[in-house]
Amino acid sequence: MISIRDVSKTYKNGTHALYNINLEIQDREFVYIVGSTGSGKSTLIKILNGEEIPTSGEVMVNGTNVGKLRFGKVPLYRRGIGVVFQDYRLLPRRTVFENVAYALEVVDAKKKDIRVRVREVLKLVDLEDKATSFPDELSGGQQQRVAIARAIANKPKILIADEPTGNLDPKKSDEIIQLLEKINKEEETTILIVTHDTQIVRHHPKRMVMIESGHIVADLNKGAKI
Amino acid sequence: MFRRFFRHIKEGFFGVFRHLGMALSSASAVMITLILIGLFLIVTLNLYDMTKTIEDSISISVLIEKGDEDSHETIEEQILKIDGVKSVTYRTPEEEFDYYLETQGSDELRTFYEEYRDDNPFRGNILVEVESGSQMAYVKEEIMKIANVDEVADGGANTYTLLDMLDSIRLFGGILVAALCLLAIYLVYNTIKITIASRADEIWIMRNVGAKNGYVRAPFLVEGIIIGFLGAIIPMILAVVVYYYIYGEMNGSLFGAFYLIEPMPFALYIAGILGLTGIVVGFIGSYVSVCKYLRLKR
Repeated sequence: MISIRDVSKTYKNGTHALYNINLEIQDREFVYIVGSTGSGKSTLIKILNGEEIPTSGEVMVNGTNVGKLRFGKVPLYRRGIGVVFQDYRLLPRRTVFENVAYALEVVDAKKKDIRVRVREVLKLVDLEDKATSFPDELSGGQQQRVAIARAIANKPKILIADEPTGNLDPKKSDEIIQLLEKINKEEETTILIVTHDTQIVRHHPKRMVMIESGHIVADLNKGAKI
Repeated sequence: MFRRFFRHIKEGFFGVFRHLGMALSSASAVMITLILIGLFLIVTLNLYDMTKTIEDSISISVLIEKGDEDSHETIEEQILKIDGVKSVTYRTPEEEFDYYLETQGSDELRTFYEEYRDDNPFRGNILVEVESGSQMAYVKEEIMKIANVDEVADGGANTYTLLDMLDSIRLFGGILVAALCLLAIYLVYNTIKITIASRADEIWIMRNVGAKNGYVRAPFLVEGIIIGFLGAIIPMILAVVVYYYIYGEMNGSLFGAFYLIEPMPFALYIAGILGLTGIVVGFIGSYVSVCKYLRLKR
């Protein structure tokens, strides 16, 4: 569960990114965070991911106070959160299998367990037949699916997707959202999608939190499942 | 544990191969520095050895008046009270006679001199060792004030100057070696910094999937060690080959007066030191670099 209370963030250069944000997201929820560029949604993600510390207020994620997280504890905290980005960020010199396995190697999983889990998530994202391909041999949509597979390989409770469809055409975007819905259902992962693509929100209506200039301006519970 | 250890080693090697050009350019920079370090080490250690030999062989001879040999203990006590005196050794007139015989080249001379043993012309001799060359003049002056001392002999003023000069060269060599080590560390530091910058994406991914800082750091450390060791290989070989060659060419001595250190095992030690320096320098350079990078990003 994510609980954000009275959170403000001001960067060192004086930029105010968030003002007194309050937000609660339950386990297994599927939420869109919508806002224009510079609205503060990226800052919100960075705070949830432990990259930034809120200037004031409290952020609790799965029982951890993220703002009080010590530097050395950040990595362990991150294992509970998967992140997917618009530009996929795959390792170009590694195959699809190796890219996904990487997330498991990092947490010292056993070789056998890695093999089993990688097959499992590749099946989930429907890329079993691409295991030995390299990222540049795949389409954008496929690369994003590899990134999603990597993000969920460690079975995180929360998956944050930052503009996951930003580089994709409407059809591919649709497939990615469907995949995230499937993960939400099958892996019981809380899904947070940050986007400014109103099209996907319209086609897959869920709870939608709107951020503008660092304020939450609306929290529409349309179609949310709690 | 082992699995991770080998993975880091493997990743480190991959890192070197993935950025082979950069790794090699850095290794060659380390190589040049290590060659210089090796050169200065050889020169400095030889100088150190020479000055030690000279210093050890230079002692003040305090000759006791004939017939007053029994007072040597009192004189020794007084000498030991003087500042800068390291040790005293007493040689009886008989021992002095034996020592003299030993230093004679031919048996014929030895047998000839032996006949004069009962009429021993040698005086009791207290050999005084001084802590450093610069104190010799003062110690000599003080000893001359002691009663029953017949004569005080040392190598003269030139010895002091030589000793002081060698001391400075020794110090200078040491400082130079230390400075070169710092330079080598800086070179590796810079390479790893560039390597890290070119792999920022990879580090980002590692950290995002929850890799601990140690895990992120390890392959870079292995890479730094490999670069350092690669840079050390040629200097190590050069140290052994060149030193053997010079030693042979110079017949083991400098101007016929000073002896060079025997190449075995000295050259191997130098090679070992260079290898170790390469590894340590590579480790420190990459450690500083990667820590600095990781500290900047949460």
